[in-house]
Amino acid sequence: MRPPNRRPRNKTGIALESAKEIVRFEQAGLAYEDAPETLSDVTMTLGEGEFRFLTGPSGAGKTSLLKMIYLAHRPTRGKFVLFGEDAMEAPREALPALRRRIGVVFQEFRLLDHLTAYENVALPMRVAGVNQGQYREDVSELLNWVGLGDRMDARPPTLSGGEKQRVALARALVSKPDLILADEPTGNVDPAMGERIMKLFVELNKLGAAVIVATHDLHLVQSIGKPVLRIANGSVTRSAGAGGAA
Amino acid sequence: MIRADAEQHEADEEIVAPPRRRRFFRTGAAPLLPEAGAAGAPLTAVIAVMSFLAVLAMASLLMVNRAASEWTSALRSEITVQVKGATAEEIAASVAAVKRVLEETEGVLAVTERSADETAALLEPWLGHGNAQAFINIPAIIEVKAAPSLRDNLDLLRNRIAAAAPEASLDDHARWHDRLAGAARSGQAMALGVFLLVMGAACAISIFAARAGLAANHEIVSVLHLVGATDSFIAAEVQQRFFILGLRGAIIGLAAALAALMLAGFATSAGGGEPFLPAFQLGGWMALWLVSAPIATCLVTAMTARLTVLKTLRRQY
Repeated sequence: MRPPNRRPRNKTGIALESAKEIVRFEQAGLAYEDAPETLSDVTMTLGEGEFRFLTGPSGAGKTSLLKMIYLAHRPTRGKFVLFGEDAMEAPREALPALRRRIGVVFQEFRLLDHLTAYENVALPMRVAGVNQGQYREDVSELLNWVGLGDRMDARPPTLSGGEKQRVALARALVSKPDLILADEPTGNVDPAMGERIMKLFVELNKLGAAVIVATHDLHLVQSIGKPVLRIANGSVTRSAGAGGAA
Repeated sequence: MIRADAEQHEADEEIVAPPRRRRFFRTGAAPLLPEAGAAGAPLTAVIAVMSFLAVLAMASLLMVNRAASEWTSALRSEITVQVKGATAEEIAASVAAVKRVLEETEGVLAVTERSADETAALLEPWLGHGNAQAFINIPAIIEVKAAPSLRDNLDLLRNRIAAAAPEASLDDHARWHDRLAGAARSGQAMALGVFLLVMGAACAISIFAARAGLAANHEIVSVLHLVGATDSFIAAEVQQRFFILGLRGAIIGLAAALAALMLAGFATSAGGGEPFLPAFQLGGWMALWLVSAPIATCLVTAMTARLTVLKTLRRQY
């Protein structure tokens, strides 16, 4: 894997912060329609090349926070800066360019069942308009790397949970994103594979990508020893280290 | 680095991927939106029916156009002079005077006098065989092939004929020409109306199918957005799917319509031919226009789907 490509980019023209700051929330809140706020006071920053675990009880809003970061939902209030751009004000047309700088490993994988493993991994490149000749080798290499070189033509319904997880992982990494988000990435794999996946994130972080991993696996959090963001009662607090994730 | 070991592979289920279904039109990359989401076979069938109707409407338009052109050009190139008189001698004298005027008139291409027998034959359906000449002095009929320049200015000729032979009258067939042209225009408007209705129906079906397709593929559309797809990219995917489905339907509809037109042509020929409508002949411009009808249906379907998707995505996603 080559280091992630991180050129300063600004599609919206609304530059607010330096390019070193990847994510910044200030008193951001998120409410789904008329329901009470799921997240009510999110204030946090993530700098370039930083690694954070995101922990908290079930239903606390870990997935909601990740959804705000990968722009599935925008905060209903507060301030949100992504890659130096005001994501609250960014026009709809500017969102795809921001999303392409983020690789997401969804908890439920979200693979497209009618596409093969190869086609699923190649999806971010395809939607970015990259010619197949330019990414074929990278996709194959990535699938070999996650141990699915012999299952490139298999479709998700024929893959096991662990294999799906690895395809989802490869898809998140194929575009060499500046920011990697993972929502419970070890939830569907055995402990050994979970540990390998975590080490992979650490490795990618060393290569320059910022990483946020939402997990409730405190054993893994402690073993990696990276800073922890704890989410509870709608707000995010920073724990000193792995030990504070409880 | 991750390298799945043998144990992991053993733990994974060994399920062989189902063989890919062969598609009629294959593109290089697999479609991102499954065919079923765009109501594949039913939509193809509906577009085939729309194309069939569009081709028939276009064929009607072309045939009416051709028939109208043949009718009116024949009428416009001919004028008729009818010469009446109390006696045969008076009629003959008037005919000679009219012919002299015609010979001296610029723009007269040919003059043909119908014989008394030919004129009597024209009256036979009303008077019976052999009765016409026995009871009346049948007027003489002179047919004149006229150049367009003369046709456009007949008043001078009419006045000169009236002066040379007061009992002669000139018929420029304007009444028939106008009525046939009016009938042709009605036929053309009706065929064009049917064609436009079919296009409108194709639009409506496309909007409905595109919305249904998006709803059925909500999860896929959502994932595409999250990996960085633009609305235009998704709309282009849908447009491509609809174009392929539309093309299949268009080809089926065109083939069915051509078969129907050929059969109608054979039936008309077998029945002795239809005196007013020209026989269906496929060739040259006719073929091009007929092929344009299903292509238009296909393009309308695809473009409508694209616009519908763009509008829906902006509203719902």
